[in-house]
Amino acid sequence: MASETVPTTGRRRSVEGKPTFAVAFTALFLFVLYVPIVVVVLFSFNSKKSLSVFGGFSTRWYQDFFNDEGLLSSLRASLFISTVTMLCSIVLGTMLALALERVTSRPARITGTVALIPLVTPEIVTGVAALLFFTGLGMKLSLTTVIIAEITFSISYVAVIVRGRLSSMSDEVEEAARDLGCTPFQALRLVVLPTILPALIAAGLLIFALVFDDFILAFFTTGIDPQPLSVRIYSEIRMTISPAINAVGTCMLLVSVLLISLSLVVPRLLGRKDSSLDLISGG
Amino acid sequence: MSLQVEDALVDLAKEKRRSPTRTRLWNVLLAPPALWMLVFFISSVTIVVLLSFGHVGDTGKPVFGFSLDNYKALSDPVYLKVFIRSAVFAIATTAISLVLGYPVAYTIALHGGKYKNALIAFLVIPFFASYLIRMYAWSTLLADEGLINQLLRDTGLSSGIRFLNTPGAVIAGLVYGSIVFMVLPIYASLERMDTALIEAGKDLYHSPLQTFFAVTVPATRAGMLGGVLLVFLPALGDFVSAQLLGGPSTYMIGNLIQQQFFEGQNQPLGSALTVVLMLALLIFMVFYLRATQRVNREK
Repeated sequence: MASETVPTTGRRRSVEGKPTFAVAFTALFLFVLYVPIVVVVLFSFNSKKSLSVFGGFSTRWYQDFFNDEGLLSSLRASLFISTVTMLCSIVLGTMLALALERVTSRPARITGTVALIPLVTPEIVTGVAALLFFTGLGMKLSLTTVIIAEITFSISYVAVIVRGRLSSMSDEVEEAARDLGCTPFQALRLVVLPTILPALIAAGLLIFALVFDDFILAFFTTGIDPQPLSVRIYSEIRMTISPAINAVGTCMLLVSVLLISLSLVVPRLLGRKDSSLDLISGG
Repeated sequence: MSLQVEDALVDLAKEKRRSPTRTRLWNVLLAPPALWMLVFFISSVTIVVLLSFGHVGDTGKPVFGFSLDNYKALSDPVYLKVFIRSAVFAIATTAISLVLGYPVAYTIALHGGKYKNALIAFLVIPFFASYLIRMYAWSTLLADEGLINQLLRDTGLSSGIRFLNTPGAVIAGLVYGSIVFMVLPIYASLERMDTALIEAGKDLYHSPLQTFFAVTVPATRAGMLGGVLLVFLPALGDFVSAQLLGGPSTYMIGNLIQQQFFEGQNQPLGSALTVVLMLALLIFMVFYLRATQRVNREK
């Protein structure tokens, strides 16, 4: 980013006159962005079984959720899928990122390109492909198949985040460690990994949230029992509209907002400037 | 696997200094993820392509083959209509996202001041809510008995408008689903832009609007292209928005694919539909890459 071109706020404001309209438009935009979400949360506390008339505050839909064994087992399934996917994809994605930063051989370059494809492939294509692959092998669809599909998608994600951090890290530190007698593996473990740790934590939290919320891949690769939470509520939404779904949705919102906020904050707490916010805003 | 890694590491320990580009450690690190992508991504996409030339066997199971029957079936006007609708919806979604997203990115980047990062975080947070939940949220808002119609009736503005099952609702859902991916790259390119350019433009062109189109827009073309890619790709393959906010009259190619795998149980035909979608995206990518090359060359 060209930092020398960032003037003071005052100068920027003078550049194009009063931004009253632009500011109002942006405020309206942000407002509309939040309306659906606020409404979901609000009506999850409705005492009536209505999504348009608010009858009063009640936690009955949350009680329904926490007494529904089916929904709870789906919640556990989703948490399990997210945890395993996060751990596996962090390991595989970091290996990939390290190798792509250092190896310039042909296979490495090809892998680097291939690893980007899942990021620009619509999930429905990846989902169909995974489904056909599993059924073709005669594998029974289950949480395992969901996890495999989610890992395939997540590796690319982790690799991009970690590479971003690696590329801003100087080779010389590692060379210095080698000069001081470290083996390549020691240099990796003692120098490189601690440096990229904040990026790894941020990536892990992000992957957990993305996988926990993911619907399409899970929809194509899951078995019948237990189903991930998103697949489960999809079939409920199609049958009925009820504030109970809002309660489940609000809980999912809470999980993702919490994790994303952590992924933004943790790297900064660890004293690094790179966070997933910089990544997504392209900074 | 760990034994192999250790062997490789012992070998590596023997050589004092690594050559800067190639050591066995890095190659060992590359193997597992490369193998994973080969097995679970490349080979599974290959299966989709192969099965699209197959057919459903007598037992109801998909059989591989070498016929173009599935693709012939897809040239039926019923399917062509859905393909065209998908393209129109995806293009409309991208265009609306650009028109709505650009001013937002512009305002935050140039007038955000010290609140810039906070505003971007505020903008991003709703997009980390599950896509499914966000589409569901829209469907409850827009329903005939939903909150918006309730408000319209209460205020006497209207006796109710039918939003659901219209193309507008599906496109609105798609825009809401991914507009952040338009705002962020444009924001990033505006941040990188030299604001002195705008000042120079004002001296040259007098009106702020002229300056905007002659200076700012060309300078942020790379960001706009990135946003177009990130919005168009998922929109073209989406089926959730058309499922929850629309109906059979607004179905997109994604809905047809979903039907073939879960209701029609014609996996070869579903595979052919998926290949059509992939080809459409490939064509789009070719144009996209040529456009980015042009932008880069002009820099």
